[in-house]
Amino acid sequence: MSLVSGPGRAGETSGSLPDELQLTIEPHVRYIQSLDSRRDELEYWLTEHLRLNGLYWGLMALHLMGRPDALPRDETINFVLSCQHENGGFGAAPGHDAHMLYTVSAVQILAMIDALDELERRGKGRALVGSYIAGLQNTRTGTFAGDEFGEEDTRFLYGALNALSLLHMMDAVNVNKAVDYIVSCANFDGGYGVSPGAESHSGQIFTCLAALSIAKRIDLVDVDKLGRWLSERQVECGGLNGRPEKAEDVCYSWWVASSLAMIGRLHWIDGDKLKEFILRCQVCSVSADNSTEINARQDTKMGGFADRPGDMVDVFHTAFGLGGLSLLSFPDLEEVDPV
Amino acid sequence: MASHGVPRPSTITTKDEQARLKEEKDIKDYKTLVDLTSEREYSLEVLELTSKLLTKNPEYYTIWNVRRRLLTYGLFSKPSDSSLPSMELPSTSQTDTTITSSADSSSSSSQATPPSQNSRMTGKTGTTLEAIKNDLAFLVPLLMGWPKCYWIWNYRLWLLQQAKERLDMEIARAMWTQELGLVGKMLTRDNRNFHGWGYRRKIVAELESPELGGSSMVETEFEYTTKMFSASLSNFSALHTRSKLIPKLLNERRSDDGARLRFLTNEFDLIAKALWTDAYNQSAWFYHEYLMTNLLEPVRQSTITPNMSSTERSAYVVLQIENVKEMLEGEEECKWIYNALLGNTMALWQLEERSPMSDELQDCKTWLAELRKLDPLRRGRWDDLEKEFRGF
Repeated sequence: MSLVSGPGRAGETSGSLPDELQLTIEPHVRYIQSLDSRRDELEYWLTEHLRLNGLYWGLMALHLMGRPDALPRDETINFVLSCQHENGGFGAAPGHDAHMLYTVSAVQILAMIDALDELERRGKGRALVGSYIAGLQNTRTGTFAGDEFGEEDTRFLYGALNALSLLHMMDAVNVNKAVDYIVSCANFDGGYGVSPGAESHSGQIFTCLAALSIAKRIDLVDVDKLGRWLSERQVECGGLNGRPEKAEDVCYSWWVASSLAMIGRLHWIDGDKLKEFILRCQVCSVSADNSTEINARQDTKMGGFADRPGDMVDVFHTAFGLGGLSLLSFPDLEEVDPV
Repeated sequence: MASHGVPRPSTITTKDEQARLKEEKDIKDYKTLVDLTSEREYSLEVLELTSKLLTKNPEYYTIWNVRRRLLTYGLFSKPSDSSLPSMELPSTSQTDTTITSSADSSSSSSQATPPSQNSRMTGKTGTTLEAIKNDLAFLVPLLMGWPKCYWIWNYRLWLLQQAKERLDMEIARAMWTQELGLVGKMLTRDNRNFHGWGYRRKIVAELESPELGGSSMVETEFEYTTKMFSASLSNFSALHTRSKLIPKLLNERRSDDGARLRFLTNEFDLIAKALWTDAYNQSAWFYHEYLMTNLLEPVRQSTITPNMSSTERSAYVVLQIENVKEMLEGEEECKWIYNALLGNTMALWQLEERSPMSDELQDCKTWLAELRKLDPLRRGRWDDLEKEFRGF
């Protein structure tokens, strides 16, 4: 087995995988570092509404790869705080309206780089962020809205509990009601949807299980039934899909596998085949002559993961591909908490 | 940033000068449009700019909010409101707006023409009804182009809520009713789009509500799932929806025990037909499992036949197991059949509160061996099942 030259050193530890299925850290780090330098591309401007999420995904990936310092900490904090509104909530970027999705990303980023104190020092205070989130709870049903216009989704419920637990402000909301609401979203297959009556979907299952985990009520899940349904998400190529009869996608490596982990059934799918699938979704491949061959359009675009082999990479799939690998105890990656 | 199903170019191409210049211009045009839209006045010009921007980028959620505010504080307002001293939108205050303070924005602001007084969107120049109708029409091509964009679906629901709050009930009801046609069309184009199914559920709930003078639509919606399932036998979304409608349907029909049993048998027949067509149809197998659950859950908790006695249930389960066994003929390689046989046989022991008989145990071990062979991906699951057998 040839080893990889350069700082990735993936070849040393994952002995059973063929050369093209190694994980080389450095191109992925550089890919994430390059994301904010792409202002000469229209795509950069068309995706501004995802900027704060993108930063979270990028940082998550870097932390998993053991490179938390690869993005400058001060600039990160400044950018996050520049997205905050008077009401405590955060938008996707300066000039974008406050919304639950970005407020959660902001809290997660600050927590990840141990900078929640900056909310007190330079932001509008931890308490105001918590009260913005708490204010979006539907006091009648227990679920959460995304913003003042009232779209409700179990994604927002999970986000709220996640951020509030990081802020140590779980008392600000009615957790029991939120738990009851999740129970009302359960379906005959053991899964959960966006709201009561909605079809089971692996992404929503992740949000509901993670919310139940944070609320310490995972005992309410029909573990065997859900475990069976989730395990059937693995298709022949090793990848996972989100619903029956749909195509596989790297991001479900995270949504499905972490859900299985939360109910103690991760061993119900084939971890090795999933790892191989995820690794096939990288753009970076390692050639036999020990050099790293980058299969990308230009230097700044090397590295990263796509939804499926051969597709365009993006930071979302990079984070969740690495998340999946970490969950499967891939060597060289930090261990991840499925919640 | 989250690209799904976008193929990577097979050859490495560097952009030529012409392409680079075009992208540069596209970026400049786009940023100019964003800056103009950010001016936030209640003018028709800004509304049109938001239309232009959202047509380019419907994921730009803030612009949908700008549009909501334009309508709420502008066109929806009563004529007397037009005399409000300030036409500025309520600020969603920012701590920092450095991102727009580029050279581009200064040049773009010079192109911004101040809105003329007569185009201000007050109740005088346009009615709420027209505004909502125009906006609903504006959204249709966007939905067709981006059927998975949360923000468009959401905005449309918000508009319809506005209709409910601001218009006569009959008019509002007609608007909501029309949505069934639209969402039907969307679900014909993609019969699994969960935005579409979710939207349909919300439309129906509104049409059933007393605020819109409605009554239950459970019968027609149930028929709709039959239609969608018949068109595509692996449509799990349709089967899921069906499972949610059944309890309500049977209650509304005031079905007695006999009618409920006939209903259950019809459902089993329907799904068996699908499985005989394609034994690998996992959606149908999950629905089969749902129907079986009705028999296996404790008496009174099951939703279809709550009053069925334990003896009747056992007999029914045994019959179903026999039916599934018949499917093996010619489909010996189909893991789903073994999976169902195994699950249902083990459930029968629980239902009858007894240990397995030796021939049953032997069958189960044979089926498990088949599953191991046919479905190695899930061997961890089969290991766990085997452990359960050791208890006997």
